[in-house]
Amino acid sequence: MRKILIVEDEEILRESYQFILSTEAYVVEAASDGKKALELCQKMEFDLILLDLMMPVMNGIEFLEAYEPSEHPRTKIVIISNLSGGDMLAKALQLGAHKNIVKASITPRQLLSTVRYEVEAI
Amino acid sequence: MKTHTPTTHLTSLRTQHTVVFDELERYKLLVESIEDYAIFMMDPKGYIQTWNKGAQKNKGYAAHEIIGKHFSKFYTEIDMASKKPERELELAQKFGRVEDEDWRVRKDGSKFWANVVITALYDNGGNLVGFAKVTRDLTDRKKQEDSMRTANLTLKEQQKKLEALNTSKDEFVSLASHQLRTPATAIKNLLAILLEGFSGPLEAAHRELISKAYASNERQLAIVESLLKVAQVDAGKVVLNKTPTDIKTLLYGILEDQSDAINERGQTCKLTMDSSLSDKIVIDENNIRMALENLIDNASKYTPHGGKIILRAGEKDNQIDISIQDTGVGIASKDMDKLFERFSRIPNDMSGGVVGSGLGLYWADKIIGLHGGHIEVDSKVNEGTTFHVLHPRVTPGA
Repeated sequence: MRKILIVEDEEILRESYQFILSTEAYVVEAASDGKKALELCQKMEFDLILLDLMMPVMNGIEFLEAYEPSEHPRTKIVIISNLSGGDMLAKALQLGAHKNIVKASITPRQLLSTVRYEVEAI
Repeated sequence: MKTHTPTTHLTSLRTQHTVVFDELERYKLLVESIEDYAIFMMDPKGYIQTWNKGAQKNKGYAAHEIIGKHFSKFYTEIDMASKKPERELELAQKFGRVEDEDWRVRKDGSKFWANVVITALYDNGGNLVGFAKVTRDLTDRKKQEDSMRTANLTLKEQQKKLEALNTSKDEFVSLASHQLRTPATAIKNLLAILLEGFSGPLEAAHRELISKAYASNERQLAIVESLLKVAQVDAGKVVLNKTPTDIKTLLYGILEDQSDAINERGQTCKLTMDSSLSDKIVIDENNIRMALENLIDNASKYTPHGGKIILRAGEKDNQIDISIQDTGVGIASKDMDKLFERFSRIPNDMSGGVVGSGLGLYWADKIIGLHGGHIEVDSKVNEGTTFHVLHPRVTPGA
């Protein structure tokens, strides 16, 4: 079963993404900041990480800087933020994020279909 | 032949003496009569030897009160303590003259701002015989200068405060909008989970209510998005990401995205492309797309059911001209200058039913401006409006 990690500080969003993705046959874990996400990445190998950028403790950029892609060759990282451009997003893509999904523009169905597409493409 | 007798010689001397005397009297009259300048002589050590009307008016001393006294009387205590009077005499002797602007003191102890020139005087043998001092009261001018300086500083401070306030305002709008977006996104998700059947089927009545809540929240998100975009553009934080873009693909893509909304209003939309626009042009595709979507959305919103939207892309004066023409309510000429202002909502027959933040045109105008382009508008009330987006034709490699 494909394993997905959701990294999102906003509780309602984190729980709704978990709920949506768990309707498919995925193992879904969640973290509320980059630091907890790194700890989970040490314990489990994920197929897909949905990463928010603006988070307390350790934000998405800091997570990407600390994360070693070479240790997780199968893992794809997709940014899920409310940024549609700007330096932060550009930096995230430079640091190895695959693409960006704008939270405020996506419905649950659209999220599922994007995740399905990205995970199957691995 | 004229013979010079002692009498003739004496007469000649007397005549010359009279001429010189008259000359001296004239200069004395000149100096003594001047009231606007204090003009007086000092001996080599600085003791006052003459005194004119101007000096009395300027410093308050009558001639008999001051002649024979030292000129340092007119300096402030600080200047006297630092030996300024002596230094000025030294400089005048060294360089011929010295000029100064500083405070001087009157007989009554009051101070005035003076322009002072001290000139060293020498006899024919080159010996210092004294100094001439000319003093002018510039207190009024100094007061004016000080007032202007204070006013200028106040203006500069006010300007700094305003700039700081403006930056604060932009940051506040940006922060508030960002903060507002988070709960609105959460609401969107939760309502969409219900509407998309993730929690099981919904009763029709519940679906209707939830759909209305969802639509309302979408409007809120759109307004917050507009506020954020405007705050960014106002704060000068928009960085254009320019890439070579195919105009035809861009416009067809926009039309496809907008077609549902246009069709729901029973309107038709068509695109006409000039064949000369086959080259790619260098633009920030994302931002230009959003600006054009704004204009097309506006055109559709302000056009009645069954109306037409015509998109044309051509060239005008070496600029790309993308025009959006509608058969809508039009804009009165008196409302034209308000069109691109923030929160501008021009009242017309349709505006009551139109939902929007009033920020779209403002933002589109700014974005096109950042590209070096501009927007022109032609309109007739009840006939329709055409927006022309004019953009410099910059091809890749140019």
